[in-house]
Amino acid sequence: MKKKQVVSILLTFVLMVGGLTACGSSNSNTASKGSLNIYVWTEYVPDSVIQNFENETGIKVNVSTYSTNEDMLAKVKSEKSGTFDIVQPSDYMVEQMIGQGMLQKLDQSAMTNKKNIGSAFLNRSYDPNNQYSMPYLGGVAAIAVNTSKIKNNITSYGDLFNPKYKNTMVALDDYRAVIGMAARSMGMSMNETNDAKLAKIKAQTLKLKDNIKVYDSDSPKSELISGDCTLGYCWNAEIALAMQENPAIKIVYPKEGAYEFLDNWCITKGAKNAANANKFINYMMKVETAKAVSEESPYLQPNKAAVALLGDKYKNNKAENIPEDVIKNGEFLKNLDTATLAKYNAIWTELKK
Amino acid sequence: MIKQRFRSNAGPALVMIGPVVLWLAFFVAIPLIYVLVMSFCGIDKNYNVIFRFTMGNYRRMFDIDYVEIYGQSILIAFFSTVICLVLGYPFSFLIARTFRSKKTILYMMVIIPFWTNSLIRLYGWRTFLGTNGLLNKLLLTLHITSEPIQFLFNRSATILGMAYVLFPFMVLPLYTAIEKLDQAQLEASADLGAHFRSTFLHIMLPQTASGIFSGCIMVFIPCLGYFFVSDILGGGNADVIGNLIQRQFQSGNNWPLGAALSIILIVITLLLVKLYQKCGGDMQSLGV
Amino acid sequence: MCRQTKEKCAHNAGAVYCGLIYAFLFLPIVVIVINSFNATNTKPYLTWKGFTLDWYGKLFQNSALLDSFQNTIFIAVTSTLLSTFIGTLAAVGMYKYKFRGKNIIDGLLYIPVVIPEIVLGISLLTLFTNTNIPRGLLSLVLAHTTFCIPFVIFNIRARLDGYDKSIEEAFMDLGANRLTTFLRITLPVLAPGIGGGALLAFTLSIDDVIVSYFTNGLTMTFPLKVMESIKSGVSPDVNALSTLILLATMVIVILTQSNLLKNLRKVLKRQS
Repeated sequence: MKKKQVVSILLTFVLMVGGLTACGSSNSNTASKGSLNIYVWTEYVPDSVIQNFENETGIKVNVSTYSTNEDMLAKVKSEKSGTFDIVQPSDYMVEQMIGQGMLQKLDQSAMTNKKNIGSAFLNRSYDPNNQYSMPYLGGVAAIAVNTSKIKNNITSYGDLFNPKYKNTMVALDDYRAVIGMAARSMGMSMNETNDAKLAKIKAQTLKLKDNIKVYDSDSPKSELISGDCTLGYCWNAEIALAMQENPAIKIVYPKEGAYEFLDNWCITKGAKNAANANKFINYMMKVETAKAVSEESPYLQPNKAAVALLGDKYKNNKAENIPEDVIKNGEFLKNLDTATLAKYNAIWTELKK
Repeated sequence: MIKQRFRSNAGPALVMIGPVVLWLAFFVAIPLIYVLVMSFCGIDKNYNVIFRFTMGNYRRMFDIDYVEIYGQSILIAFFSTVICLVLGYPFSFLIARTFRSKKTILYMMVIIPFWTNSLIRLYGWRTFLGTNGLLNKLLLTLHITSEPIQFLFNRSATILGMAYVLFPFMVLPLYTAIEKLDQAQLEASADLGAHFRSTFLHIMLPQTASGIFSGCIMVFIPCLGYFFVSDILGGGNADVIGNLIQRQFQSGNNWPLGAALSIILIVITLLLVKLYQKCGGDMQSLGV
Repeated sequence: MCRQTKEKCAHNAGAVYCGLIYAFLFLPIVVIVINSFNATNTKPYLTWKGFTLDWYGKLFQNSALLDSFQNTIFIAVTSTLLSTFIGTLAAVGMYKYKFRGKNIIDGLLYIPVVIPEIVLGISLLTLFTNTNIPRGLLSLVLAHTTFCIPFVIFNIRARLDGYDKSIEEAFMDLGANRLTTFLRITLPVLAPGIGGGALLAFTLSIDDVIVSYFTNGLTMTFPLKVMESIKSGVSPDVNALSTLILLATMVIVILTQSNLLKNLRKVLKRQS
């Protein structure tokens, strides 16, 4: 008796489930002209933009997501080369990947929309002639304050270390970001390699232990909106989005100068769909696309033609259109040697235990 | 005669056992040996594994930070196991004995939740226990508390999650063991005027010990590795050994160190299993 | 008299206790079901914006989600079949024949059962990376089959413990060959063990997170899709799909457990 039960449970389950998927999958196969595998940050490229690209070109886009540059590097390295066509590394990671021979040159003739990009965002030191990368969005890691709960005036990264804010904070789950922030709060660089300085940075970082309630790189706005956290160290756009949901949340740019980044589109070496990838990158630099991106993902928009279209609503929003002095005072991450990174990792382990 | 018999058996034996041997060799033995080898290697400046012998990974693992995380893991695993056992034993007894007439359906009701994805159930807990979650709203409206209670993102939340996810692994062996208890013996003991406590201590406990042991092992060991529970409910504040390993294979980009940590985890596991066998535990009952 | 009320009391207390445990087990599921009706459209989908059934429709337009679910089912079915096939042969073979190295096989079988999944996950990741086995459905099926095989074998073994070898011998003495004996005698006796093992393999496979996490490449399974959506707030359509899965399993269990089917069959028989 029991065996019949088991077998019938199995069979019915498989059948029902098969039926369920069969009716859904019929509409997923649009006539496709090739495909494209992109590997991007979580919550960064709007679904609608990708759908429009698919509709316009007939190319099927498969999206995978990651949470930190280092995660992406690890995954790309462990997969067969050419698994991902497009990746989205930040500045220093572009340099790292070029150095490791993981990227291929872009087809410059396909980049007809490059003209839309502001000159300040091109020819950066990590890729001097933009041979390998085109900018997507930039930003800083700023401070979010829920003013209905936190009455003190917060102006700097240093304020985040105040023991008063015990168990209130959401921080990026990213070791370079958090340790770098601790370094900046003491007036040091995010890229220190000196042991004596690192010891000081370590002591400072560990002071955050009691204050950080959650580590979340993917969607720190969730904890801010849900009220689980009243203080945040996170990407400016996440704060901008949280502010839309809860007006009590404010953005603060640290007076020490913020951690700054610029993310880029790159094509991996051995990419199977390189032509489609070039098409995609150029599509992302189109004015309309960039405008649509900024509406859902309010970071610093390098596409100056799109910025003109976005109008005052974007220009006057301090959380989205980052003030120029903040940009000027910011610091970018640099590649460090593996021995130093191991020390950073050790600090991180101690913080998170 | 014996020889002939052996020869005639060699063919079918090979057909039947060959596939599993090949499979285990290729997908279990070789990868594990490779992990062991890798744990003695280093990385170059591009994070690639280089095969040069070093004890560096093992030295690093005795850093106080790492040792504290092992301790924390074991603590989390211990409390999760205790919770499962304390909640699970009377429960298993009730569904296997007291409500015997409905036992199949009661037993199935333990299994049903586990056909819904475990991550989404953990997320369900997270929405329920959040600062503005249902539970806090309830407590606030009932004036039990004036400020929302911070349930989430700490060790207790992680322990709750582990206990929740692994609860059926405790109930299954307990249920089997309790079901086998001799009803006549239990009744005789009660009729003889024995207190429930002594019936429990002298009859039930010894006879269900194997179930208890295998339940504990099946809850304790996975707790050490379930990194997603501490990610979702611990918020990154209650890491277990699994988180350490996962990090080395991802953002840390240090596979040899991750491999060495895995070896430590294997060693801890084997020690526990040895202990389990010493206590008279049956290996077979771990898999069923 | 006194004793009876006491017993009744204990009985009721027991019922209440069980109720609490079930509440503990089902509470997050209730949250999932409620959230699948939430009309909110903004991430992270936490605030209640009213009741809607829309997500059950939208679910069928979310091709990425449905694809992942399809992959999960495909992987579960394939690896269940594979592991059941290999496991059944092995269990019977190991029971019947004595040979050197049996202990080693036994030891290897316990490894995937006992060691934390993450170790299996990373060791398979290193294997696939070094042998260039493409990551995707293939690697997932291989990985899932690996951790399913031991469970199948152990389930069948439990059944073999009470197995009488002499029937088989008698059958063969009557002139049947090995294959017929296996199919006609051995297999039917072991069927419950095989079925139980297959069910367990299937259950383990559909809910696997950790091993899949390290071996998936670009292929998403349903648990991995959930993991990804947790990053930015689980959207109600994921909750809707989970609710449907739950509903399906409940229906199956109720159908198989109740005597509904049996009675139906009786009625039909009587009519014909």
